[in-house]
Amino acid sequence: MKEALYEKDLTAMKFTILESRRHDRMVREIAADLGIPHLLLRRYLMENLDMLLLENLPARYEQGKKFQEGLPEVERALSSHLYTRAVPLINERVMDAIVAATKERVAAGIPLSEAVSAGKAMVRQVILR
Amino acid sequence: MKRTVDVSIPVGPVHPCWKEPARVKCETRGEYVVSAEVELGYMKKGIERIMKGRPWQEVMFLAERVCGICSVIHNMVFIEALEHISGIEVPRRAALLRVIVNELDRMQSHILANFSYCYTIEHETLAMYLLDVREKVMDQLERITGARVTCAYIVPGGVRFDLRPEDAQALRLSLSAIEQEVTRYTDMFSGGPLIALRSKGIGILTKEAAREAYAVGPTARASGLGDIDRRLRHPTYQSLGFSPVVRTEGDNYARIMVRFQEIVQSIGLIRKCLDELPAGPIRGGGIPGAGEIAYSGEAPRGELTYFVKTDSAGRVLEISIQTPSIMNIEACCHYMLKGVSSMADVTSTFVSSDPCIACTER
Repeated sequence: MKEALYEKDLTAMKFTILESRRHDRMVREIAADLGIPHLLLRRYLMENLDMLLLENLPARYEQGKKFQEGLPEVERALSSHLYTRAVPLINERVMDAIVAATKERVAAGIPLSEAVSAGKAMVRQVILR
Repeated sequence: MKRTVDVSIPVGPVHPCWKEPARVKCETRGEYVVSAEVELGYMKKGIERIMKGRPWQEVMFLAERVCGICSVIHNMVFIEALEHISGIEVPRRAALLRVIVNELDRMQSHILANFSYCYTIEHETLAMYLLDVREKVMDQLERITGARVTCAYIVPGGVRFDLRPEDAQALRLSLSAIEQEVTRYTDMFSGGPLIALRSKGIGILTKEAAREAYAVGPTARASGLGDIDRRLRHPTYQSLGFSPVVRTEGDNYARIMVRFQEIVQSIGLIRKCLDELPAGPIRGGGIPGAGEIAYSGEAPRGELTYFVKTDSAGRVLEISIQTPSIMNIEACCHYMLKGVSSMADVTSTFVSSDPCIACTER
């Protein structure tokens, strides 16, 4: 045997975790919110998160959703806590920059929904890069 | 000249201090653990897949086979989920008997977890004392339900066996002996200077981190989160005036001490149930029907949730189980182990979160 047993490819195990009913529902919800295909999001999660974090994602997601209800409007609309601390899709520094850019747009008179859409497009770009 | 290098050190999958196989991959800088990652997949049962499409009468036996240590609560949560779907009432006597058996199960689980921790920090004397007292709890569990592990005691509408007066008397006597011994061992643990060296200030999980990772059970309660205890929302526990044990240190020591305190608390709850046990039936009847529910209960390790969907014949169409160890092991790896200053503390910190790999992988 050439490869150590414990260095095996975990892709299949990760896929099995994400296939479960609760995980699948969560992945589809996030994908719909960010406007990306759920299959791409699933692959991103498999590539970037370890198995245990994947197992725990639905619980973290629910907890993160509850937490962000108390956040300011722009942070809540962009799900800044949810996508950085609860479901770590992107880096906190990157999210802070996106939130700041969105706030700037709102201050410049652009409607909140439009500014948030632009913010979400930036989040999408980071994930699809 | 001494050189510090980054090394990836795998702990497990087979380790003498662990009850089940899991591989913790630690990225270290010298003795300092920079990050840790757990790899699972050594004992996947696929039990949720096996449950799908089967009648509830079969699934209730499968449910308690998810975990060999906390089998009673799996049985209880699944059955109570069915009862909520179908509006089945439980007589007061049966509800209190459920609490008695559930608390006995919690006691033996906590004692086993603390045994594992003491064994890991090489305090074998205390570890063996704890195993001895656990047998007394298991004997009572066997006396009431007829089995030590997979009891199948709880059924829709009630419980399977009544508590005879002589069993209640034996339970009271045994509880007194267990309380005396557990109090003595708690003092040994809390007063041991070497135990404190291996436990205090190690593997800290802050309140914020515990909330973020959705840590549950004694692991969260040792970090100051008391409101996550599902027993606070259970009508029978509410009627008994239950309030959770909470500590704020968030380290290995606090997690073990919370379990010791909860054992004594469970003894108090069982005594209260015995005092309040009314005469009457132990089965109210009722047949599970069609519906869908997400129902949670407090397992020894924390919140256990069953997502169940049944048809009119009571067949389980969809089922998903969220076990407490999923959240706690994740909190352990991504918060507690990060920053541990000695590789020797990796195993003890991991064990202090009471990981159950059988539950996690299902």
